[in-house]
Amino acid sequence: MQRRTLLTGAAATLAATPLARPHAQKSVTVRWWYHFDDPKATPDELVAAFETENPGIKIEPENIPWGGGGDYDNRMYTSIIAGNGPDTAMVKFNNLARLMEMDALTPLDKWIDAWSGKSDISADLWRLHTAPDGKRYYMPLQYVVLYLYVRLDLLAKQNLKVPTNFDEFLTAAKAMTGGEQWGFGMRGGSGGHDSWMPFVFGTGAKPEKGGFISPAALAQNRFFIDLHRVHKVCPPSAPTDAFLQIVNNLKAGRVAMTVHHISTANTMVETFGDAITAVPVPRGANGSGFATFGDGSNAVFSASKNPEAAWQWVSWLSAAKNNVLYNKVAGQMTVTTSGAANWTLHPKRFVDATVQSLPIAGVLPNMPQTADFTRVVWPQNTQKALLGQIPPDDMMQVFEKLFFG
Amino acid sequence: MLAPAMAAAAILVLLPVLDTLWLSLHDVVLFRPRSRPFIGLANYARALNDPVFWESLGNSLVWVVGAVSLQFTLGFTAALLLNRSFAWRGVARALIVVPWALPSVIIGLIWTWMLDFNLGVLNNIGVRLGILAESVPWLAQSNTAMAGVILAVVWQGFPFFAVTLLAGLQAIPGELYEAASIDGAAAWGKFRHITLPGLAGVIATALLLRMIWVANSLDLILVMTGGGPGTATQTLPLHAFLTAWSGGNYGQGSALAVLLTLLLLGVVIAYIWRTRGE
Repeated sequence: MQRRTLLTGAAATLAATPLARPHAQKSVTVRWWYHFDDPKATPDELVAAFETENPGIKIEPENIPWGGGGDYDNRMYTSIIAGNGPDTAMVKFNNLARLMEMDALTPLDKWIDAWSGKSDISADLWRLHTAPDGKRYYMPLQYVVLYLYVRLDLLAKQNLKVPTNFDEFLTAAKAMTGGEQWGFGMRGGSGGHDSWMPFVFGTGAKPEKGGFISPAALAQNRFFIDLHRVHKVCPPSAPTDAFLQIVNNLKAGRVAMTVHHISTANTMVETFGDAITAVPVPRGANGSGFATFGDGSNAVFSASKNPEAAWQWVSWLSAAKNNVLYNKVAGQMTVTTSGAANWTLHPKRFVDATVQSLPIAGVLPNMPQTADFTRVVWPQNTQKALLGQIPPDDMMQVFEKLFFG
Repeated sequence: MLAPAMAAAAILVLLPVLDTLWLSLHDVVLFRPRSRPFIGLANYARALNDPVFWESLGNSLVWVVGAVSLQFTLGFTAALLLNRSFAWRGVARALIVVPWALPSVIIGLIWTWMLDFNLGVLNNIGVRLGILAESVPWLAQSNTAMAGVILAVVWQGFPFFAVTLLAGLQAIPGELYEAASIDGAAAWGKFRHITLPGLAGVIATALLLRMIWVANSLDLILVMTGGGPGTATQTLPLHAFLTAWSGGNYGQGSALAVLLTLLLLGVVIAYIWRTRGE
């Protein structure tokens, strides 16, 4: 009896110890891959705040080199194939189709629908974050919408108003071109597809089969190429100008307008004060428009052993105050409506131009070819057209063939 | 005794080569990991039917011939100068190695900004001196972009020739020059009949090695132009890299790499033939 009592007592004692309740105390680790444009930015504060609120989950952030997007994406693909991928990672729309083809993504719908923060993210953003198969694999995290920077002082000298359509845009660009100053800072180099899309998809082209080679699409693309070749309202270096060139040219007063987004708003205001503003990109004569959506999302990978914990982390990052804190680090726009209403990181006119552009915001077709289009096919063919080596219509034929055969 | 070296060579060289050959015969797309069917020589046929391949091959020829010939000319001249006696010669010999020691990415960025249309120092100096009527977008024009990247690689690579040929010059016995002087030979005669024959072996080896390196290199072009504008500076290795890395098409990229290797095989055989007795 004594022995049995002793065993019973020992068992009761063991049951009361943490060792007997492994699930209650077990801490899971979530590996999260990220990239910030600012190399000095770090998510440490966010991770510490999350781990305080969620003591059972440890976040292991890994800063992955960007390399124009190609390095980041290829590391992600190869790590997934090798079975050593992270649980969750920051992702872009241009790799959605490839990740879907790899069956690498976990659909987030059931979690999103049950998530308390869902209504704080606009319907426009949820629309953009819906995959071609109708599911949602990406959780909105940050965003920008490309808009048009305009030097108001230079425009006023010409007695012109801010352009709202392509005709007014051309008139303004011509008027502000002369000597060592050009009306429009065109980006023909790396990343230039983002600022080309509003011009061709705004009126004419459509990111769908036949949409690149319709008469209206070809005409609008000719309009874009002619800005450089015929009207000469862009610097001669436009075919290879990339981010640094268009931003520095605007800041140096060498161009009067360019297409970019809110991440450069503060530096523009530092340089020009109230003499610079941003407005939604020009629209077509029929009022149609297209503003390129620059996304930043999180995905949970299907190979993750801790998908629920990964979801806890990514949904926490997208919740109201956390998302504002995140975007203070990332330097982009919050995806939450409540956060945008009280946004203080950028002057209001730039926030307004961004938010006003959301209804016409769009992206390239979500197809496996998209990443190759943005990195190789678009710059090569557009540069050839800008240099007169091929007719503008030929570049559109190449794009149509790439996407739709 | 040779076994460890042979094993290391097999693991480090032979296996990757065989793997590349194997990949080139399959339809290997990075984001379709479950499907990599054998397609025979289809990747090769596609490459050879692609106008971009032939354009890249032409660019490669211009790149190699332009870069190596200018590097050799500049390097040989520098070696002859550095072989003479003058004050601070040691410092000059040390400084000339600096471009060779810098990483290609840094050199690419330096030259990109020096040649920049808006802010570039070369345009600024050219306009101030009246050499240029206005700034030139060197890297944004198809007829000047290749010259721009060749200029950068010449600056990077001429120290290799300078140092190698300087070592060769110092190995030529001084007595030969003294004897030639006694016989009344002029400077050109000494150069033609002593220096050039004395350096022939070094020159041939250095040229062959440099041709292989330059033909394979893509880092400088990738940083400066990415192969643009259009495909004006896209060489074969860059074409292979973009196909594999950006396009995710490792099968096609491997086929391009194998074709490049076959093209370079002639140079490699010449190099092996030259060094077979050493």
